Amino acid sequence: METLGFLMDGFAVALTPYNLMFALFGAFVGTLIGCLPGLGPANGVAILIPLAFTLGLPPETAMILLTSVYAGAMYGGRISSILLNIPGDEPAMMTCLDGYPMAQKGRAADALAISAIASFAGSLIGTIGLIMLAPVLARFALTFGPAEYFALFLLAFATLGGITGKNPMKTVIAAALGIMISTVGIDISTGTQRYTGGVLELYEGIDFILAIVGLFAISELLFFVEARMGKGRSKVKMGKMTLTFKEVVSTVPTQLRGGLLGFIAGVLPGAGASLGSFISYTLEKSVLGKKGRFGEGDIRGVVAPEAGNNGAASGALVPMLTLGVPGSGTTAVLLAMLISLNITPGPLMFTQNADIVWGVIAALLIGNVLLLILNIPMIGVFVRLLSVPPMYLLPIVTMVAFVGIYSISHSTFDLYFMILFGVGGYLLRKLEIPLVPIILGLLLGPEMEKNLGHALILSDGDWTTLWSSPLSIGLWLVAGLGLVLPTLVGPILRRRMRNAIKEGPVSD
Amino acid sequence: MTGLGDRILGLCLLVVAVAYGWVAQQWPEPFGGSEGVGPETFPTMLAVVLAVGSLYLMVKPDADTQWPVGKTALELVVSIIVLVIYALLLEPLGFVISTTLAVGALSWRMGAPAKSAFAVGLVSAIVVFGLFNYGLSLSLPTGLLGDF
Repeated sequence: METLGFLMDGFAVALTPYNLMFALFGAFVGTLIGCLPGLGPANGVAILIPLAFTLGLPPETAMILLTSVYAGAMYGGRISSILLNIPGDEPAMMTCLDGYPMAQKGRAADALAISAIASFAGSLIGTIGLIMLAPVLARFALTFGPAEYFALFLLAFATLGGITGKNPMKTVIAAALGIMISTVGIDISTGTQRYTGGVLELYEGIDFILAIVGLFAISELLFFVEARMGKGRSKVKMGKMTLTFKEVVSTVPTQLRGGLLGFIAGVLPGAGASLGSFISYTLEKSVLGKKGRFGEGDIRGVVAPEAGNNGAASGALVPMLTLGVPGSGTTAVLLAMLISLNITPGPLMFTQNADIVWGVIAALLIGNVLLLILNIPMIGVFVRLLSVPPMYLLPIVTMVAFVGIYSISHSTFDLYFMILFGVGGYLLRKLEIPLVPIILGLLLGPEMEKNLGHALILSDGDWTTLWSSPLSIGLWLVAGLGLVLPTLVGPILRRRMRNAIKEGPVSD
Repeated sequence: MTGLGDRILGLCLLVVAVAYGWVAQQWPEPFGGSEGVGPETFPTMLAVVLAVGSLYLMVKPDADTQWPVGKTALELVVSIIVLVIYALLLEPLGFVISTTLAVGALSWRMGAPAKSAFAVGLVSAIVVFGLFNYGLSLSLPTGLLGDF
């Protein structure tokens, strides 16, 4: 068992006191980020990147910190779903359906506890899946040439809108904008200055970290200012824990099903955690049929989506780690961290940076145990922090974003740029142009151009090389489907999700 | 006319696409002669993609979203101005003073009572400053307060 050996090495990395401390810190902060409405996981991880950077953390520690935050955010999302009926992050939407009714019946503490257990199970299943699948996929990815990579990047963009995406053309536009921004600066292969306008600060290109922080953090602040949700909402009382061991055992099949389905949804391009939790919830509903009282506070209605979204979160790491192609906003931000640590993501990472990859995977397993501990006995801490109203929280978060960006370069030029990105992000979000493809474009743009160049040089300028191997044709086809399917299936799926939610909790 | 927002966006993006594509054609041929791919190849492709996308938006726009008007729009502009002033004053005034003002002003505008807004601003400024300067030894500007 080669994998097992690597995993043991990974544990050796993750279990050093230094890294363990950061994993614990990340798990705590992540749960907090997940549960606070208005501070999504992608946003939260993005704000932490400059901090991890300026602290001069070694690469494996930085990655362990951010992955723990990522895992923690998936746990945290459920807290506000259950107590406030507002999902803390998007995948936690389905948890509102039975979580909030359960809380209203005075079983809030039980709902929180069982959902923590479900999150743990889902995440564990997802991580085991990741451990089994990732090395296989990485080995397969080694056969990719530049043409296949180019097609793969296209596929990533095409499926990013997801099957439930509204207007695929807007995803295309967003991706093009992101890649365009990434072309600013000196061209690496020829040294030509592109779109710099002679401004010295632009020679090295636009730092994607400040773009990401601006797009997420500043636009979020502006959205809250507009929505006038400063005061927050009233929350349900916690009550006493009455969860019995028998009840926990009765949900085990639900946990397994949810975690597995979630993992599959996470790995597949275009599905993601939101769909993962949706599928596990609906499957559970149809499996149990009339035996369940879904929508009225059925315990399995809380377990299924939570196991699903945590399984999906680990699943989403598979394409990010093995191919360097993230499938969601938060994994894109994790990729940003990798790139700024000067690690080339992709299959080679498994051989060249094995300590980082396996350290991160081991940290996920350890993080999960930490999270379970944090989320059951210490749940009260998070619940109390949940009552910090956004009118204090968001300005402070914005300030931390400012500090982070400022501490990278000590230049206020970057701050103006960040504000500009924030205002742009706000306008684009208002026009329903998704931000994640922009970010992915910023990150993958240079790689995409490099691979295109290599492919064309190898073929002596023959463009047909881009779709000449069976593999690349397959990738092009899936990419095409990724753009066409949403217009066909999207409206149906969206309607179903809406029907399931009925009155619908307000998504942030 | 419905879909005005998308149409205007489409028009703006078309202008961006054309300008971006045009600029790409102006670069001198790189040293060593022209090859299959030059610095302009990829940008030209992007310009075409964006142009097609923007034309699509103008032809088939989505329904309009609700844009903020009146007081809400003003609040937004105020928030943006506060952020710009924050960036402007960060170095001259120093971190603690400018952060107190910025966080306080934003919280206050988001609906907190003025007194507690600025108190939260001051406390958060001092905590973050302490954490960064002494805990993490990353220096934030001290400005008016001088070195201490």
